[in-house]
Amino acid sequence: MVKRYPGRDRPAVEGLSFAVAPGEICVLIGPSGCGKTTALKMVNRLISISDGDITIDGQNVRSLGLTQLRRGIGYVFQQIGLFPHMSVEHNIGSVPRLLGWSKTRIRERASELLELVGLDPVGDLKRYPGEFSGGQQQRIGVARAMAADPQIMLMDEPFGAIDPIARDRLQNDFLRLHRQVRKTVIFVTHDIDEALKMGDKIAIMRDGQLVQLATADELLASPADEFVARFVGEDRGLKRLRVRSVRDLELDPAVSGDAAVTSLMTDTSLHTALSSMLAEGLTQINVVDEDGRPIGSVRFDAIARLVAPPETAAAAPAAAESSSR
Amino acid sequence: MTVALHLAPAAGGPVIPNFGGASNCVVQNHQFCMSWFTHNFNSVFKPALIQHIELTAIAVGCGMAIAFAAAIFAYKQSWFGTPFSLLSAFLYTIPSLALFELLVQVTGINRFTAEIGLVSYTLLILFRNTLTGLQGVPPAVIEASRAMGYTPRQTLFRVEIPLATPAIMAGVRIATVTTISLATVAAYIGAGGLGKLIFDAIQSGFKTEFVAAGAMAIALAIIADILLVLIQRAITPWSRHRVQTF
Amino acid sequence: MRSSDPLTFFFNNLSLFESKVIAHLELSFAAVGVAILIAIPLGAWLGHIHRGSFLAISVSNIGRALPSLAVIAIGIGILGIGFLNTMVALVILAGPVILTNTYVAVAEVDPDVVQAARAMGMTPLVVLWRVELPLAMPLIFAGVRTATVYVVATATLATFAGGGGLGDIIVNEPTYGTAGVIAGSLMITVLAFAVDGLLAIVQNRITPYPLRKQGRQAKVEPLANAAAWQAPGNR
Repeated sequence: MVKRYPGRDRPAVEGLSFAVAPGEICVLIGPSGCGKTTALKMVNRLISISDGDITIDGQNVRSLGLTQLRRGIGYVFQQIGLFPHMSVEHNIGSVPRLLGWSKTRIRERASELLELVGLDPVGDLKRYPGEFSGGQQQRIGVARAMAADPQIMLMDEPFGAIDPIARDRLQNDFLRLHRQVRKTVIFVTHDIDEALKMGDKIAIMRDGQLVQLATADELLASPADEFVARFVGEDRGLKRLRVRSVRDLELDPAVSGDAAVTSLMTDTSLHTALSSMLAEGLTQINVVDEDGRPIGSVRFDAIARLVAPPETAAAAPAAAESSSR
Repeated sequence: MTVALHLAPAAGGPVIPNFGGASNCVVQNHQFCMSWFTHNFNSVFKPALIQHIELTAIAVGCGMAIAFAAAIFAYKQSWFGTPFSLLSAFLYTIPSLALFELLVQVTGINRFTAEIGLVSYTLLILFRNTLTGLQGVPPAVIEASRAMGYTPRQTLFRVEIPLATPAIMAGVRIATVTTISLATVAAYIGAGGLGKLIFDAIQSGFKTEFVAAGAMAIALAIIADILLVLIQRAITPWSRHRVQTF
Repeated sequence: MRSSDPLTFFFNNLSLFESKVIAHLELSFAAVGVAILIAIPLGAWLGHIHRGSFLAISVSNIGRALPSLAVIAIGIGILGIGFLNTMVALVILAGPVILTNTYVAVAEVDPDVVQAARAMGMTPLVVLWRVELPLAMPLIFAGVRTATVYVVATATLATFAGGGGLGDIIVNEPTYGTAGVIAGSLMITVLAFAVDGLLAIVQNRITPYPLRKQGRQAKVEPLANAAAWQAPGNR
């Protein structure tokens, strides 16, 4: 399930060429007008491809019938677009109905998906979209996109119109869902933090061209140029800490006494770890397991070393020694 | 070719129709004689009422068929909207009696002529409402529909038309009530219905008859309106949860 | 005077047409005038205090449902025949349109503008007179226009109640012949269009320039259409 992307569409997108691995979330991001949405919409041919090919699993999207292509691709977008005149069940069952599934099978699938996206699998079936909040509607939108078990999902700023708190929950829930379901996802956003959080791979675009394609950590550690560096933000050093967690470190032995006043878990992000250190005025904090037993500790200089550029790694231990006393 | 009606009451006072059993009230031609009304309901009023309903139903049905097809065509081919709109607006502005009289010169005095006239009057409102309803479907919903792999025809029938229903039904309501009103005038050219009773009564000066027929026409219109509102609510369950603008 | 050609008939009977048209317009404008005197103040006041929306909508619904001939017929039963009866009937038919339009027009004036006016120290009456009514005028006028065309058309039926007007010619074939009936029908049609056209020009004139064209399309036109939808059955 590989998606290949050499595409050329007027000046909007030019010479864009990359591949998305199966089960991966690939985020397209860039400033307004960079062509990310255009690129996304070329996959299901909502926008026509002027030149070049997009292939899914080796099959050119232009060779498939339009409706057949689209019925095999899940599409979620910012304005949600649920059918107001159909119940939630029928909304989710839109494509399955087109494919001729039986009513029972559709209902079961709808229930299953409602549970997956965090809604009531029984009570919400017969309700209408108008009765739900924006965040809930988009969950239904995601369920609808997944109903016929498509190979690929396209998501165009799906959480853009939703308030920040609900958005955070939706992002987390989607990541959790994705771990279970493992679909290939192409995700467009203009929010760098969302991209860093959601993307297995991130493609930064500018003026219709691909500037850099890398994982979140690589992007933050080594931005390809000035533009990317500014785009990811001047605080990219700190941002890197968000994408790493305590478990990425080798732990030092646990400490006791005053320094043991607070503790971290293995899945705590380094960003939070550092923040705790600053808040408590410590340079070393214990790590505990689920039962609260100490299993080691984290030191400031270990964190610093992990995210430092390779050359300064040698110099770091010397600096750390002098500051930890 | 027109029906010759003398409009001034006959000299020497109104002619009291002898439908049998002329009570005191009738003889003195009071405003409204209840007993006469109930006594003669089945023989006089009911057939007229049924005729009237028939006239209306046929007119609105045909008008809907034409206007609906035209609106869908105009929705897909936008150039068509303005010409058809102008045509139906033109027809609508012609005063009814005048239109009926002109049509009579062509197709004679009969129900068919009346129906042609009545249908013409429904076209404007039905066309406009259907088209506006279709154009009011949120673009996001249409985009979702396309992206999911609905063919244009499937989008039209499963998404766009259902969502245009509130506007369409509002148009049907107005068209129906308007047609009931116009059908009374159509009686003048031989269409029958409650209008005929009114014209008869004007000729004879028998008050009860036209108060009753007039009141029945009004009641019919109001009842039809309410019924159509109920039908509209029934077929658009999703809009119960939001503010009704129609 | 009989003639088989409507046009010839028309030119042969100019004075007849003149008197009928005048009578027709007299009746129409009298009815619209009375309707305006009743409906505009009432609608404006209700819209200003933002009360009575249910009343306004109900009146409009009922007004729309009234078959014009039926109202005239009942009028004959109660008021007898003549100018007064038909005028009253026409007022009943025209009133709801003007009332609803005025109500909506005043109630829908941009609340921010009203608030600014009140904050400036204008009393409610001044706000209504200086701010709300001028801004509501285009839509109010749209209602008056709809009502006027409707009344002119419906006044044709006045003939059945002894009210005079062009209807006298149209329904009187024995006297005027087929040519006369056709001429009369065409005349009333032309009259209806002429009145509509004239009022359209006036409406365009009194719409404040910024609201014309684009803004007009966006704001007034749909509302005017909505009001037209609520207009009672045609004649």
